[in-house]
Amino acid sequence: MNLSIQNLSKTYPNGVQALKNVTLDIPVGMFGLLGPNGAGKSSLMRTIATLQEPDSGSIQLGDLNVLTQKTEVRKVLGYLPQEFGVYPKVSALDLLDHIAVLKGITNGKERKALVKSLLQKTNLWQHRKNSVGGYSGGMKQRFGIAQALISDPKLIIVDEPTAGLDPAERNRFLNLLSEIGENTVVILSTHIVDDVKELCTKMAIINQGEVLLTGNPIESINSIEGKIWSKTIDKEELIAYQDKYNVISERLIAGKPEIHVYSDSRPDDSFAPKPADLEDVYFSKIKETTQTAEAV
Amino acid sequence: MLEFIRFELSYRLNRPATYIYLILMILMGFLAGGTDIVRAGGSGGKVMENAPIVITQLMVAMMIFGTFITSAVMGVPVLRDFEHKTDSMIFTTPTNKFQYLTGKFIGSFITTLIITAGLVIGMIVGQTGDWSWMDNADRLMPFDIMAYINPYLVFVLPNLFFFSAIFFLGGALGKRMVVVYAQGIILFMGYLVAQTFIAQLDNQGTAAILDPFGFGALQVTTQYWTVAEQNTLYMPFSGYILSNRLIWLAIGVACLIFLYIRFDFNLTGNASSKTKKKAKKMAREDKEEILSPVVNQLFGLSAQITQLKSLSIFYFKWIIKQLPFIFIALAGVAFVFIIAFVGAEGSYGIELYMTSSRVTQFIGIFNLFFIIIIVFYTGEVVWKERDVKMNLIYDALPYPNYISMASKFLGMVLMSISLMLLLMFCGIIIQLISGYPEIDWSLYFTELFIDTLGTMILYLMLGLFIQAVVNHKFIGFGLMFIFYISMIVMSELGIEHTMFYFGRTGLGGYSEMNNFGHYFQPFSWLNVYWFGFAVILYSVAILFTVRGIDSNFFIRLKLGKQRVNGQVIMVIVFALIVFAGSGGYIYYNTNVLNEYQNSDDGKAERAKYERTLKQYETLVQPKIIGTKLDVDIFPKNRDFKASGYFLLKNKSNDTIPAIHIQNAADDQVSTVLSFDKGVTEDTTNNEFGYVIYTLDQPMYPGDTIKMNIDVSFTTVGFKEGGSNTDIVYNGTFFNNTQYFPSIGYNDAAELSSDDDRKEQKLEPKERMMETDDPRGIAQSLFGDDADKITFEIVVSTDSSQIAIAPGYLQKKWNEGDRVYYHYKMDTPMVNFYSMISADYTVIKDTWQPPVDSLPEVALEIYYNKGHEYNTDKMMRGMKEALTYYTNNFSPYQFRQLRIMEFPKYRSFAQSFANTVPFSEGIGFIQNIKTDDVDLPFYVTAHEVAHQWWGHQVTEAGVKGNAMLSETLSQYSALMVMKHNFPQEIIKEFLKYELNSYLMGRTFEQKKEMPLYQVEGQGYIHYRKGSLVMYALQDYIGEDSVNAALKRFNQDWAFKDAPYPTSKDLLKYYRAVTPDSLQYIIKDMFETITLFENKTTEAEYEEISDSEYVVDLTVSTIKYQADSLGNEEEQVLKDWIDIGVFTEDSKGKDSLIYLQKHKITQEENKFALTVGAKPTKAGIDPINKLIDRNPQDNTKTVDEKEEEKPES
Repeated sequence: MNLSIQNLSKTYPNGVQALKNVTLDIPVGMFGLLGPNGAGKSSLMRTIATLQEPDSGSIQLGDLNVLTQKTEVRKVLGYLPQEFGVYPKVSALDLLDHIAVLKGITNGKERKALVKSLLQKTNLWQHRKNSVGGYSGGMKQRFGIAQALISDPKLIIVDEPTAGLDPAERNRFLNLLSEIGENTVVILSTHIVDDVKELCTKMAIINQGEVLLTGNPIESINSIEGKIWSKTIDKEELIAYQDKYNVISERLIAGKPEIHVYSDSRPDDSFAPKPADLEDVYFSKIKETTQTAEAV
Repeated sequence: MLEFIRFELSYRLNRPATYIYLILMILMGFLAGGTDIVRAGGSGGKVMENAPIVITQLMVAMMIFGTFITSAVMGVPVLRDFEHKTDSMIFTTPTNKFQYLTGKFIGSFITTLIITAGLVIGMIVGQTGDWSWMDNADRLMPFDIMAYINPYLVFVLPNLFFFSAIFFLGGALGKRMVVVYAQGIILFMGYLVAQTFIAQLDNQGTAAILDPFGFGALQVTTQYWTVAEQNTLYMPFSGYILSNRLIWLAIGVACLIFLYIRFDFNLTGNASSKTKKKAKKMAREDKEEILSPVVNQLFGLSAQITQLKSLSIFYFKWIIKQLPFIFIALAGVAFVFIIAFVGAEGSYGIELYMTSSRVTQFIGIFNLFFIIIIVFYTGEVVWKERDVKMNLIYDALPYPNYISMASKFLGMVLMSISLMLLLMFCGIIIQLISGYPEIDWSLYFTELFIDTLGTMILYLMLGLFIQAVVNHKFIGFGLMFIFYISMIVMSELGIEHTMFYFGRTGLGGYSEMNNFGHYFQPFSWLNVYWFGFAVILYSVAILFTVRGIDSNFFIRLKLGKQRVNGQVIMVIVFALIVFAGSGGYIYYNTNVLNEYQNSDDGKAERAKYERTLKQYETLVQPKIIGTKLDVDIFPKNRDFKASGYFLLKNKSNDTIPAIHIQNAADDQVSTVLSFDKGVTEDTTNNEFGYVIYTLDQPMYPGDTIKMNIDVSFTTVGFKEGGSNTDIVYNGTFFNNTQYFPSIGYNDAAELSSDDDRKEQKLEPKERMMETDDPRGIAQSLFGDDADKITFEIVVSTDSSQIAIAPGYLQKKWNEGDRVYYHYKMDTPMVNFYSMISADYTVIKDTWQPPVDSLPEVALEIYYNKGHEYNTDKMMRGMKEALTYYTNNFSPYQFRQLRIMEFPKYRSFAQSFANTVPFSEGIGFIQNIKTDDVDLPFYVTAHEVAHQWWGHQVTEAGVKGNAMLSETLSQYSALMVMKHNFPQEIIKEFLKYELNSYLMGRTFEQKKEMPLYQVEGQGYIHYRKGSLVMYALQDYIGEDSVNAALKRFNQDWAFKDAPYPTSKDLLKYYRAVTPDSLQYIIKDMFETITLFENKTTEAEYEEISDSEYVVDLTVSTIKYQADSLGNEEEQVLKDWIDIGVFTEDSKGKDSLIYLQKHKITQEENKFALTVGAKPTKAGIDPINKLIDRNPQDNTKTVDEKEEEKPES
C-alpha cells in the first residue's frame, strides 16, 4: 500500500497559497518531509490526515480515496499533530484507553493489554497514573506517538514531532519511530535535517507550498557532492559575501560566521571544500526557491 | 500610571468586542426606550414612557444584563497578562504595583463608562426620535436630560464602580475567568434573594440594602409613589437608596484595597509555583521485549454503542467536575432553599403547607440556573476538544460523525438527570424539614423528569445546534440570548400561538383537586412537536459540525453533503414527519376543532361589537323573574348541557316590540332558544351571538313570556393557550353569567383600557355609570337582566361526584352512572347562581341563632379529601360571622350555608345565595400559626357577610357601589375577627391592607377615586375600605357604625329598584357621627386624604417608680390628593391618637396611654404622664390613618439627659 498525492493545491482565505500543485508518491517505509516553518508541511499533513479539504487534487491510499472515504482512512490512520493539548487532570492510562475505544478497540481486555504495551513501549508505564497535562515535552510527544500507534495503523503521520525536544528525548523519539513496522507508510515532517538523515529512506523537500525535490537522501547528497565550499569570515563581511556568492547557509562558530557557498567550482582559494551533507541539499534547495520568489 | 491607562484604553479601543458591547448597549437602550419590547413597572396608563422612574427602572434592569459586559471588561485586564504570559515581561519593567493596578483599573473602568454611555444614548434616541411605529406621542413628556443623568449618577455609576472593583479583584487574584463568572452569579443571587424579601413587609429594609444592583432600594423607595410623583420626581439620593449605594461603594473600595495588599507583583503565574512531583521511585526499566498484543478493531453497531457510552460518561463526568458547574448548581440549590424557607410567604405573611406540589414550584426557581448551565455548557462541550487543542487527534479517529455530537448530548442529558435527582432530593429534604412528609412521587416525577427535563433537553438540542452551526462559542451564547429576546419581540408583533414558541409546552398549574387535569394532552403533543423539530436541528448540527480544521462555510457545506447517508436522511425524514404530523394535529385541535384568535383580533372584534350594537344599550327590555333549569355536567368529557326556561316579564311602563338576546360568546357554547309566543328571528348580528326576536304581539307592561333555553358546552380536542378551567375533570365551577344567554347589549364586552381603546380608535370610556344615573340606580350590581328571580334547578353529574347549586336540596336520585340533585330556592334571589361538581368529602354542622325564634342553620363544607387543614377554622368562621351579623345587622335569610372547594386555577371565594365556592388556593392549604392572620376564618367571614351585603341589600350598578358590598363585607369580617383574635393580629392585617392600598395607587392605570366613587378598584374598595372602616369604628364607635348599618339594612334589604348607592349609605354614617367628627366622613369616603405623621423627639423623665413624664414632639401634615396623586396640604383640625407603649413581662409592646388629641398645627409638643416605664411613643401609633411612612409614627423613648449647670 502506498500513498499517492496528485496535484494538490490549497489557498487559504487570507490569500496564502499553502500548497501548489503538490504531487508526491510515498511508498511504505519512513518518508521525510523536510521544509522550513511555514513551508506548507502541516497543511499537507492535515490534508492527508482527513482534517482539511484541498481546493483541488487527489490523494489515494492504496485503493482508498482519502478525500471522500474519510472514515475508512481514519480506521488505518495514526496521526500525531504538530501541536496538541490534552484534558487537564486525566491520566495517561485513562486517556489512552479512552482514545483506544474511539479507535474501535471496544473489547476491554484487549484494550487493557494494548494500552499497557503501548505505554511500556513508549516508556511511560511508570508515569501512567500521572496527568498527561503535567508531562514534560518529550514525555508528551511519546504519549502522542503511543496514541498514534494504537491498532497498527497502515498510515502514520507525525508532524514536527522533535521540535523543542532536548537531544536525549529526540533520540528516544526517533528510536521509537524506527521501530515501526516496515509495511507501514510513515510520514515524518520536520524542519530538522538530521531527523530525516537518521531515519528516512525517502524524502521530499518542500518550501512555500512547492515540492522542490524528492528522492533518496544519499542520492541527493551525491548530486551536490563537490559543490559545497565553506569559509569563516567576519560579521561585517557577510553582506558582501551574500551579494557576491551563492551563500546557501551561514552559522556562527565561536562567534564568527561560517558560510557555505554552492558553486560548481571553487570560488577562490580562501574557500575550503566541504563534504556535502543533507543540510546542504536542503539549504541549496530552499535558497533556490527563495531567490525565485524574490525575483518575481 | 498614565501609560498603563493609555495602554489599557488603546488596547480596548482596538478590540472589536468593545464596539460590539457598545452597539449592544445602544441597541438595548434603544429597544427599551423606543419600543414596548422592554417595559418597566409603572409604565402604562397614566405614567409616561419617559417618566423619571420608568427611565430609572429600565436603566437599572438593563444594567443587570450589563453586568455580563462589565465582567468581561473588568475581569480580564490582569488576567490577560497571565494568560498571554506577558506577566513576567511587565513585572520586570520598572513599574510598581500601584501604577500597574491603578492604571489597569482606571483604563478598563473608563472603557465600561464609555460602553454604558451607549445605553443612555440609545434610550434618549429611542425616546426623542420620531418613531412612527410607536404612535406614542401622547405617552411622552417633554425631553428632560436630568431624567437620564439622575439614574445614571445614582444607580449606573455606583453599580459600575462596585462591579468593576469586584470583578477586577476576582480576575486579578483568582487568575481565572471562572472566578469572575462566579462573582457575577453571586451578585445576581443577591438580586434574586432581595426580590423575594421585597414581597415581605417586614424584610423590605433588608432587601433594600442587600440588592447590589440597588433595584431593591429603588423599589422600596418608590413603591408608594403616585402617578403624579412617578411622572415628576427624580430618584432621591437619600434613605434606602443612599445607604444601599454607600454600603456597596464601600465594599467596592474595600475590594480594591484588599487587592492592592494581596496582589503579588513579584511572583508570576502559577505554572512556576507548582512543584513538580518527582517520581517517588525510579521504576526499573523494562528491558525485556514488549510484545504488541493482538487486538481487533471493531466498527459495527455494538462498537459504536460502546463508544457512545464511553464518551457520554466521559463528558458527563467532565461537566459535573467543573467548578463553574458545581458553583451554579449549588447556587441554584441554595436559592431553592432560600425561596422555600424565607420567601414562601403568601398574602398577609401566611405560609402554605409544604406539599409536594408547592415544593416543585419552588424547585422551578432552579430553571433559571438550569438555563444558564445549558447555554454555557453546550458551548463548552462543543468546544471542549478545541479548547484543550486535542481536536486534531480526536478528529482523525475512526468513529462515525454522529458519535461526537451524540455523546456530548447524552453527557449533558446525564448531567441534567443528575441535577433533577439532586433537586428531587432537595425537595424531599425541604418537605421533611417543614414537617410535611407526604411525598407525592408521581408529581415529582412528572414535574421534574417529564416537564422540566423535557424542556431542558429541547434547549440542549437547540444550544448544540447553534454552537455547532455558528462555530463560535461567544457568538453562540449571544445567539441564544437573541433567541430569548426574539420570543418577546414575536409576542409584540402579535404572534401568540404556542406553535411558534420553541419549547413552550406548558404543563399548566397543578391543583391537588384536579391534578394536571386536561393540560397533559396538549402538553404531550407540544413536546412531541418540538422534539421533532429539535431532532431536525440536531441532525443538521451533526452534518455541519466542524471536524478537522476547516471552518469555512462552503467547505463545511461540501463536507456536510459528504456526510449525508441513508441513516441521516431516515432520521431527518422521520423527525420531519413527527414534527409536521404533530404540528398538524395540534393545529387541527387548536385552530380547526376550536377557534383560535390572537389578542389583537379579539380586541378588534370587541371594538366592532361596540360600534355595531352600542345603539341598543339603553333599549327597554323585559327582565327575568323566574329560572328553571336542568343542567347535566359531564366531568370526564368536560361538557355540560343546560335546558329549561327563563320567565321574562315586562316590568317597565313601555311596550316592548322585540327581545334582544346576547348568547354566550364562547366558541365552545352553542345556544338554541325558543319562545312560547310567536317571534321572528333577526340573525344579522349572529357573528356576535346577538339575536333580535321581534314579537308577533308586543309585550305590554306586566306581560310575561317564557324563553326556553338549550345550551351546550362541548369540549373537543384542545385549545391554544389557556384553556377553560371552569369545566374540568374534578372541580367544575361555573356561573350563569358566562355561559347562559343574557338580555340586551352587554357593555362588559367593551374594551376597557384607554390604551386598547385608542388602538381601536375608540374614545376613552368611563368605567362605570355616575352614582345618580337613573339607569344605573334602576339596575343592581348583578346587571339589568333581572331584579330577583325564583330559582329551581336539577343538576346532575357523574356518580363519583357531587353536584351543587344554590337552593335547598329537594331530592337526590341515581340513574345509571349519573346522580341527580334537585335544588330549589324558596325565596326570590339575585340572578347569579353557581353550578359545581367535584368528588367531595363533606363536613356537616349546625348553627343555632342567638334568637330562639330563628330557624337552625345547616352548615356544610365540601372539600377535597386531604384538605382538612383549615375546615374547622372555616366552620368557626361561619358560626362567628352568622352570630355577629345576626346580632348587629339582621337575621340570616337562609336555613343553610355551604362552602365548596374549587381548584386553584382561580384564587377567590364568591358568595352565591346560601352557597360559597372557595378556591383551594386561598384557604384550604394555608398553614395558619397562632400569630398569623387566620385567612380561612377571615375569608369565610367576608363571604358570609356578602349574604347580607349583596344578597340582602343589593346595591345599584354605579360608581361607588362596591363600598356597599365589598367594603361592608371587609368591615363585617374585620369586626368578627376583632372579637375573636388578639389586637396584634388585627394590626398585622391592617398593615398589609395599608401596603396593598398604597401599592395599588402606584399601579393605577386611569384615576384613583375616593372610596364613595370607587370604580371596581380592588385596592380601594377592599384595602382602603378595611382601613377606613376600622378607623371609622374607632372614631365613632363600633356600636354607632353597626346601628347605622342596621338601619341601612332595614331600609334597603330585599328590595328591587331603585337600588341604594354610596351616597345613601353615607347618610346613615353621618347620622351617627357627632358634629365634631363629621369631617372624617369627608376625609375617609369623599376625598383621598393622607397623613404624614411623624415623631421627631421622644424623651422621658422618671419622677418615681410609677410616674414617668414623656415629652413628645410630633409633626403632622394632612394632604388631599387628586386622581393622579397630586397632593395639596390641608388645614389641620383633626383628632389624632397619641400613644405611649411599655414593654410587658413577655417583652411585647403594650399600650399604656392612648388618647385622641386635637391637632391644629404641623408641629406639636406633648408632655404625658404615664404609670410605667415608657419604651416607644408617638402619634397615630397603631396606624389608623393612611400614612405613607407608617413606621416613623412612633419612636423609641430615651431617658432625658440631666442638664448639668455649668460651673
